[in-house]
Amino acid sequence: MSVKIEASEGGMDHNVMLGIGVVGALVCIYLVYLNTLMSTEVFAFFGGLAAIIVLWWGTDSIKNLCSYGLGTGVPSAGMIALGSGVVAMLFATKLAGISPLLVPIGCVVVAAILGAILGFISDKVLNMNIPVMTRMIAELTVVGSLTMLGFTAMVAGTFSFGDLITGATSVFGVEIASYASSVIGGCVLATIFMLGAIAIQHPFNACLGPNESWDRTQMCAIECGALSMIGVAVMSIAFLSIPAVVISFAISIILWGWSYSELIKLSKRDAYDWLDAQPIREVGGEQ
Amino acid sequence: MEEILFGIGISALAGALATVAGAAEDTESDIGSQGDPNSQVQLAPQMGYIHRIYNKAVSGEPPAYGLWVALAAGIAWALMAIQYNAILALIIGSAVAVFVQGVYATTAYLGRTASLAKFEQPVYIDILKSVTSVTMAHAFVAIFTTVTMCFLIIEALGHPFPLPLMGIVWGIALGAAGSATGNPFYGKERQYQKYDFGAGLPISASGDIVRYAEAGQRSSLDNGWFTSKGAGPASGICFGLIVFFELWRTILFEPFAAGWGAVIAGAVIIIIFMVIDRFVETWARKTYGPYTEETAAEEEATA
Repeated sequence: MSVKIEASEGGMDHNVMLGIGVVGALVCIYLVYLNTLMSTEVFAFFGGLAAIIVLWWGTDSIKNLCSYGLGTGVPSAGMIALGSGVVAMLFATKLAGISPLLVPIGCVVVAAILGAILGFISDKVLNMNIPVMTRMIAELTVVGSLTMLGFTAMVAGTFSFGDLITGATSVFGVEIASYASSVIGGCVLATIFMLGAIAIQHPFNACLGPNESWDRTQMCAIECGALSMIGVAVMSIAFLSIPAVVISFAISIILWGWSYSELIKLSKRDAYDWLDAQPIREVGGEQ
Repeated sequence: MEEILFGIGISALAGALATVAGAAEDTESDIGSQGDPNSQVQLAPQMGYIHRIYNKAVSGEPPAYGLWVALAAGIAWALMAIQYNAILALIIGSAVAVFVQGVYATTAYLGRTASLAKFEQPVYIDILKSVTSVTMAHAFVAIFTTVTMCFLIIEALGHPFPLPLMGIVWGIALGAAGSATGNPFYGKERQYQKYDFGAGLPISASGDIVRYAEAGQRSSLDNGWFTSKGAGPASGICFGLIVFFELWRTILFEPFAAGWGAVIAGAVIIIIFMVIDRFVETWARKTYGPYTEETAAEEEATA
């Protein structure tokens, strides 16, 4: 059995974070549905907020999983989260055929089941023997699927499969429905996949070390989520009206600017010293 | 015939773009100490060697470049979807991707270095300012050339994949080529100059990286100066050949045996390269292997 090393002490209880992550993300994704109810597109940015909330929680899951000596496994954990999450997310969007309101809840349920199976295989069949493996892989699959669903909702303004496979292209000023210019047909999902996968593994990967601190790593998670949101906001120009894109973009920039400056303050607080153009310090005197 | 000539021409152009991309990618990652060299840079302060070398831990190179190129491709695709000029779309996409790359680089350096406070490693913000801009410039060259290459493959050769998907595929391939070909030059020859060539890395020397350059203290920019001569071009040739052979075999052999001709040609190319690689490896071991001579010299000394 692997030995657990405490990554950082203090901070919020993981179960509380899980609660905030799931509930917060579901509320935000349901708010995107206001677009359909009110025949507008300006609520798309709630999808991005949902992704930030789950990335914030998922960072702590990765930290829990990787505190069992999986140093180089941090990027892999991010990849498996999004890789398995995309399956659950695509399946859930099909549930819109029954009722659009089933999609976010269905996404969580399907991802949890899928993740539990994957976690069980990694832990018991591949014999990795990490006590939290099954639970954390299940959590990470939910995180991955909700990140994908959130960013997809943000880029397209909707989360039903039917809308994701139909886009409109303009030929001589005439709008023609076309699969190739849709979210799935144009493979914008590929970019969203990478934006989520790097954003989820980066905070812990970047902040690991003996002086890792909870609030700095979590602030990094918010920063990474907001940074991904900027990219998604720019891509939404292909699918949404200009006011919706501007609102998404402005909110992303503000969130990113705030979290980045906070992250720098926290790094300054935690760093041994903060030097500008100074020589190498020799520990224990000059050599 | 004309179609084939056109195809070969586009392949050559794509191969040339890929060569530039590979060279820039490896130089960027070596300046930032991403991938292979990063573990020793990270370890150095724990062994008592405080340094002024960039510590850029953004995933591994292949996933990181997967993101930069896929993001540039995604944004370019979205802008082209609203009838934006293709060249401008590619440039704007690459610019946004480079912004994201630069932000990730700074958070990685700040995060890792601040977490090493216990070992008295300070954060040098002049390093942060000077090195990040240089890695961003190299990354822009790598991303822009790769996205342009993907665009050419789709528009001129009629590849069925959409641009973002091509971006993720070739981005990961670019990162993998740079990581596999370029890093060995940097990792051993530049980071451990005081140890003999081919001596391997003794455990006692872990973290004992070279911290002082020819003139003053070493920063990561010196690594870029060094790796742009050997490692960068080697990675460039590697990635260029991958792209060129990949396109060339498809264009030339696709019409044979209902597409299977291209598959067979690919397998033959791989086998030829395996034979060449094996020959180069055994030749290098015979020519440069230091261990036998060294033990012989020691035996003479003791005798």
